Amino acid sequence: MAEGEEGAAAGSVSEPLDLVRLLLDEVVFVKLRGDRELKGRLHAYDSHMNLVLGDVVETIYVVDEDDEDEEIRTVTKKSEMLFVRGDSVVLVSPHTSS
Amino acid sequence: MCAPSADERLRNSFFKTLIDNQVTVELKNDIQIRGTLKSVDQYLNIKLDDISVLDDLKYPHLSSVKNVFIRGSVVRYVHLPHNAVDVTLLEDATRREAANQAQKAK
Amino acid sequence: MENLTIHDAPPPGAPQQGGRAGGPHIQQALGRGAPPPPQQPQQLPPQMFTTAAQLLDLTDKKLLICLRDGRKLTGILRSWDQFANLVLQSTVERVYATLPEATDESAVKGYYADKPHGIFLVRGENVLLLGEIDLDKDDEPPAGFEERDYKTVDQMAKERKALDRAKEKTKLKKLATLGFEGENIGEVLL
Repeated sequence: MAEGEEGAAAGSVSEPLDLVRLLLDEVVFVKLRGDRELKGRLHAYDSHMNLVLGDVVETIYVVDEDDEDEEIRTVTKKSEMLFVRGDSVVLVSPHTSS
Repeated sequence: MCAPSADERLRNSFFKTLIDNQVTVELKNDIQIRGTLKSVDQYLNIKLDDISVLDDLKYPHLSSVKNVFIRGSVVRYVHLPHNAVDVTLLEDATRREAANQAQKAK
Repeated sequence: MENLTIHDAPPPGAPQQGGRAGGPHIQQALGRGAPPPPQQPQQLPPQMFTTAAQLLDLTDKKLLICLRDGRKLTGILRSWDQFANLVLQSTVERVYATLPEATDESAVKGYYADKPHGIFLVRGENVLLLGEIDLDKDDEPPAGFEERDYKTVDQMAKERKALDRAKEKTKLKKLATLGFEGENIGEVLL
């Protein structure tokens, strides 16, 4: 809003999803419900935050079943192209290498 | 019944291009069902043909099922074949749609 | 609104909303023999993208229905609407109990049992998934599963579920420290 009339057009961020627009064709980090995280190149999104990601690495956090001292372990899976339903998305962020 | 929003049209045309491709639908209960995408509707309900279940030990009940209709709200992911998606086209369509939404918001 | 038939369009000027409540049969009757629509829809017809169209060719077929609470029903689909509310005939509920120690190689992986119910109307929002049963494969139980009496299998399934739920609880607690929360709390899916 503060950006004025042209604000929404090209580069600026005036509403949350504009940030996602700036991330198109970039590698993003996505946190999901159900103990999952994704890293992949953002190819599409919509207002429900349905996403299409390419070259995805999925990280799943699991707890080992060995009775007392359960350790948290991660499992990674790869997917070449992934449609993610928006209702699972918790956050989207630019990927920072780490 | 209201006309589909531009958003909906975008998703529909996206899935339209994927019809008859092999996809794997991963549900929120971790079942993964592989099959041929037959149709997708406005709620993203999905219909698959010639299905197979990846972990059929845990999910034996789908063994004699040949095609499924999956409620959109239980879908977590749809794994797509890489070569069935034109990413440049998709990104352009998304940008156009974002601009449309911004126009409307004014 | 959309036409419900896949192959034929209703005659031009036919009341489009009137037939809906009558279910698929009436819609089919309306559409049959009608002249082709004046203008060709671009690419696939829009009916490909409605819930109703997807259910149309499942009518009168034997289906498997998975419900939100984890139940599995089989029955013959007799009627439905745009919300995917379903009427099933000769409904049978099937419970499965997979043995905890079972692997892909086990000769006996678990047990199943059937309970007949008759006619069911299932509210659409409770349906997770429905699938057409291949009648050629229907007579054989899933490989590695043996039939037992309902009481036994139901008991086993309940115990298994209680165990899983307890595990889920500790997992949730553990993962909460990492800032995660489960995705379908309070719902046992399938």
